[in-house]
Amino acid sequence: MAHLAEGTLRRMVDDPDAKVGADAAHLHGCAECEARFKSIAGDASAIATLLAVPEANVDLAKAFARVSREPAAQPALGLRFPILRPVGRPALALVAAVLVAAIAVVGFAFSGLFFKPATVKAVPVTVADVQALSQLADYGTVSWTKQPDLHVVTSAPDAEAVAGFSAPQAAGLPKGVSTNVTYAAMPQAQAVFTFSAEKAAAAAASHGKTAPKLPAGMDGATLTVTVGPAIGEVYGNLQNSSGASSGDTINLPQLIVVKSAAPTVTSTQVTTKQLEDFILAQPGITPQLKNAIKAIGDPSTTLLIPVPIEYTSSTTVTVQGVDGVALGDNTGVGSGVVWVKGGYVFAIAGSVKQSDAINIANNLK
Amino acid sequence: MNLGARRLTAVRTDEEAFEGLFRAEYARVVRIANRVLADPHEAEDVAQEVFIDFHRLHSATADYAPAWLHRAAAHASLNRLRGARRRQKREVAQAMEEGDKTLDPQKQAELSEDRRRLRQALGKLAPKPAAVLVLRASGLSYAEVAQALGVGIGQIGTLLRRAEATLRKEVTRGTSS
Repeated sequence: MAHLAEGTLRRMVDDPDAKVGADAAHLHGCAECEARFKSIAGDASAIATLLAVPEANVDLAKAFARVSREPAAQPALGLRFPILRPVGRPALALVAAVLVAAIAVVGFAFSGLFFKPATVKAVPVTVADVQALSQLADYGTVSWTKQPDLHVVTSAPDAEAVAGFSAPQAAGLPKGVSTNVTYAAMPQAQAVFTFSAEKAAAAAASHGKTAPKLPAGMDGATLTVTVGPAIGEVYGNLQNSSGASSGDTINLPQLIVVKSAAPTVTSTQVTTKQLEDFILAQPGITPQLKNAIKAIGDPSTTLLIPVPIEYTSSTTVTVQGVDGVALGDNTGVGSGVVWVKGGYVFAIAGSVKQSDAINIANNLK
Repeated sequence: MNLGARRLTAVRTDEEAFEGLFRAEYARVVRIANRVLADPHEAEDVAQEVFIDFHRLHSATADYAPAWLHRAAAHASLNRLRGARRRQKREVAQAMEEGDKTLDPQKQAELSEDRRRLRQALGKLAPKPAAVLVLRASGLSYAEVAQALGVGIGQIGTLLRRAEATLRKEVTRGTSS
């Protein structure tokens, strides 16, 4: 029998379960392994002595009182997102909100028998559009078949272990961007939205409106939205929020880099056309949005980036050889780039100039 | 039961579950952080941040809750150890104060220096072996360490050995120089 591995010997030091069977028999009959075992046990004991600390006396009630004072986040659809902290930086907040909203809105705006984006396109939205679209969430029920399970980890390998693909590596960061990176990773999550004629009517009635008639067969139809796995890298100190909290804005760290498997949507009972017509018939949708959506060539392969026209602008750019959407400007207040390549959606956003964001995007590995 | 009442019940259940989780795991989370930082006050600070983060992100009824807390405690305290905010003077003072009173002053000073050096080296270790060492030293079983870090139980011995061998070398090097 070959000599025992160091890991096996180490475990034998303090795990009774390991000191059994053939390995234990070998240890007792092998002078070399016995000597290695003693050396390993000696190291373990020395380190344990140096790591020893007096027990901390905890005041459970006081500690719980402090922790309880911090409100638990309760966002819509059960998603809990640690990056979104309320501070008074509305301009930055908007860019972040746009990126986050992109995934959410696309689930409703362009879902067909099959949706898997291969490209991105900006569509102009107004606050009225967002309000109108958000009502759609009340037209049925959402249930998670795979709960979003966000892991905040400290290293790229840990994030990769969760997501199952390589973490993006940013290069060419502008001066002033912190190298303090927080990694977040999420395995695949899946939600099923079931349309309900009854709920739609009740939701519209509660707003004093009449909902557009659900297309035939749409009552009980399901949309299955799959997102992730995804890795996010946040540069900068998340705890370092500045300014007064207004409660309705979002803190944008210096830089966020996101790589996510492209979301997919499948549906039962409804076609892309039926869904599109139904969504565009919602009261409150502006003619600009209707025209922009109707102008999209193939909605089943286009990831829409809603751009709030009152606040920011967008341009089409070439990133890593494919079309991307750039948001913001060169003031350095906030900008972002989103593109789809090789089955992944990439997004970069932060309080950097648009030209820097595009440069980072092009150098992303 | 209407939707509002159902939501309220769900929230209450989640809050109760969180309190149960806190009572069951707080002392252990503090112990993990204290093992790294050798400072009970700072360890409690880390533990409370870990619970707050958990509460923001997850449901207390999740099966993985204890494992998540243990891992987060190890990583958060190791991060703090690596950070510039680490109050090294305080650590030395702490080690001196809590040192073995039966040792003569010179031996005690050497032990304190070794402890300081060990924690300095711990901060430089790769995250995974460092976390394995800290969790095991805090009393977690091999199975619990494996679960917390999402690695096979067979790897724990190897990672532990790697961490201990590196740290022993660092401390010995410092002593002999």
